[in-house]
Amino acid sequence: MKRLFWFALFLAAILWAIGSYPGLSNEGEFDSIILNFRDDVDVAQIEQQVASLSGLSPQLNSSFAEINHVYVLEGDRQLIKQLRQSDLKQYTEAIEPNYIYKTLEVPNDPDYAKQWNLKAINMEQAWSRSKGEGVTVAVIDTGISPVRDLVETAFVAGYDFVNDKEDATDDNGHGTHVAGTVAQSTNNNYGVAGVAYKAKLMPLKVLSAFGGGTVSDIADAIRFAADNGADVINMSLGGGGRSQVMEEAIAYAHDKGVVIVAAAGNENRNSASFPARYDHVIAVSALDSDGARAPYSNFGAGVNISAPGGSTRSGNGEGILQETVDPRTGEGVFRALQGTSMASPHVAGVAALIRASGVSDPDRVAQILYESANGVEDDELNQFGAGYLDADAAVKLAQRGQWPFHWFFRWLWQTAFFKLRLWFDASAVPIIPKLLMIGVAYGLAVLLGSYLPNPWPGLFHGGLILGSAGLFLLRGLYIFDLPQWPLRLLGSSIPEWGTAAQANPVLNPITASVLAPLLLLAFLLSHPSLKWYAIGSALGVGACLAVSAVLDPECLWIGSGTWARVYLLVNAALSVLLAYLSLRTEAE
Amino acid sequence: MTEPLSKQKETITIEGVVERSPLGTGTWSIVGTDQTVEIFQAQPEEILQEGLRVRVTGQTRPDVMTLAMIGPVFEIDQFQILG
Repeated sequence: MKRLFWFALFLAAILWAIGSYPGLSNEGEFDSIILNFRDDVDVAQIEQQVASLSGLSPQLNSSFAEINHVYVLEGDRQLIKQLRQSDLKQYTEAIEPNYIYKTLEVPNDPDYAKQWNLKAINMEQAWSRSKGEGVTVAVIDTGISPVRDLVETAFVAGYDFVNDKEDATDDNGHGTHVAGTVAQSTNNNYGVAGVAYKAKLMPLKVLSAFGGGTVSDIADAIRFAADNGADVINMSLGGGGRSQVMEEAIAYAHDKGVVIVAAAGNENRNSASFPARYDHVIAVSALDSDGARAPYSNFGAGVNISAPGGSTRSGNGEGILQETVDPRTGEGVFRALQGTSMASPHVAGVAALIRASGVSDPDRVAQILYESANGVEDDELNQFGAGYLDADAAVKLAQRGQWPFHWFFRWLWQTAFFKLRLWFDASAVPIIPKLLMIGVAYGLAVLLGSYLPNPWPGLFHGGLILGSAGLFLLRGLYIFDLPQWPLRLLGSSIPEWGTAAQANPVLNPITASVLAPLLLLAFLLSHPSLKWYAIGSALGVGACLAVSAVLDPECLWIGSGTWARVYLLVNAALSVLLAYLSLRTEAE
Repeated sequence: MTEPLSKQKETITIEGVVERSPLGTGTWSIVGTDQTVEIFQAQPEEILQEGLRVRVTGQTRPDVMTLAMIGPVFEIDQFQILG
């Protein structure tokens, strides 16, 4: 009875979630209705029916529509309902919304064709829904110079924290470039495009002409942005150590509803730099034009999402092109740059589009970015966070209304983020296959239960778990600044050990075989208690290999075809047989 | 970890090759065998030559962030050109 109650509760929760999801049926926009009269209805009758709709003035859709009997009239969902209930219905084939199909927005900026990065994040589709109107993006950087391709972009007052003055002009060229990615003047028949080109820019200079600045100036700039109406902050900067001043400034801005985005850093190492790694900051790793992690980009702990940062190793065409200022002449110049500095403003720009779509809670903006990102399979090193930034999917999701599982993801994120020492990447843990492996291992143990002592020894449980799944939750755990492979090794089952350190999801046929249980049994079978570990792990390995053979049989050198399945199944059977023979010997 | 950043400064010596890093708008770095540091405020100018092998003494600046983000920022007090 109790079980029935919980099942009913679960079912009700699922139905509620589905019911509260606005779904696809509400997605389309329309302001007119199509009346498609039946072909067997003659023209006189149609005209009579049309005349009866006095005040609604239906029009033929086009000169071709007379043949097809298609009329269009202004109206909404309510009118559709009324018409479908009227006498008119019997003369028609369909009374339906005349959905507005939006076309792609291809900007007329002459060098837009060189911006592979904007196509990579599906900007053309996204622009048809939002351009960032009414949103302010603070660019905390080297300042912004009003180059020609920023003339049509709106600005709000900023500040130069390096020289303590109101004019925050750029004397390096970095901040202007970053600002260009966020909101370069677009559709102005000049230069290139920017992500959220109708958003307003707030220039905040914290880095000197040499490209460095102090934590205290940056913290002041964050507070300035929060106090002066910024909705999004971009920080294409990083380094240094943990700072309480900075952490508090970030928490202050977050509490005021500001979305904070930062570059993950360019050291090509595991762990995002500060400030990207602070809580409430969206850390962005960089992609090259092929969608691979750019060779310089940080990855692993703290990385939330990836976006184009370019790589100029093989030429400027692969960099991120924007107009910036040449610090030597003060003139505008188009430059292709590379760095996580360039990736971050793509995300800040899309965050502005999400804000412009009516989502104001910064945690929700972040969730929409992650949920809509194009996930990357087998991202064992967390090079891409939630995946590739997708502007179109993000804006669509933002405009679709409340995400019904919102609370769940918020809970997951907040509980999974162990502040600044540990970091958990849930996507690295294949939970269902792992649970299945443990389930099969225990199932086999139950089948052989008559040979086992009662209760089962603790080491037998240990063997079952380590052989089948390992301490699999550890696979997604990172400790900042330390290599992740020891945790990944601990989080892997015995068959996965051959490739776990390299973060390779493919099995190594040497460890993924009967060999390991054979060796364990050979060494431990004579030991009074450790033998139970060896027997348990033999069953566990059998379960792991059997589940892998069915779900994902890919092995090094063998591939993922029938041979791999056969190899794994044979070894699974041998492992179980080994456990059975050992148990029978023990029982005798 | 939570000490004020100014207290984390200590004088150390680094040996490596001076390189111009192409990240962002670029910066000067010293690439050593186990780590790369960014030269604070591109000073001293005497060592800013691609490929120059140097031994420098100074402090890392945990209170400084940069646009290049290639490694710790190193403020040089003394330098020796090794060739």
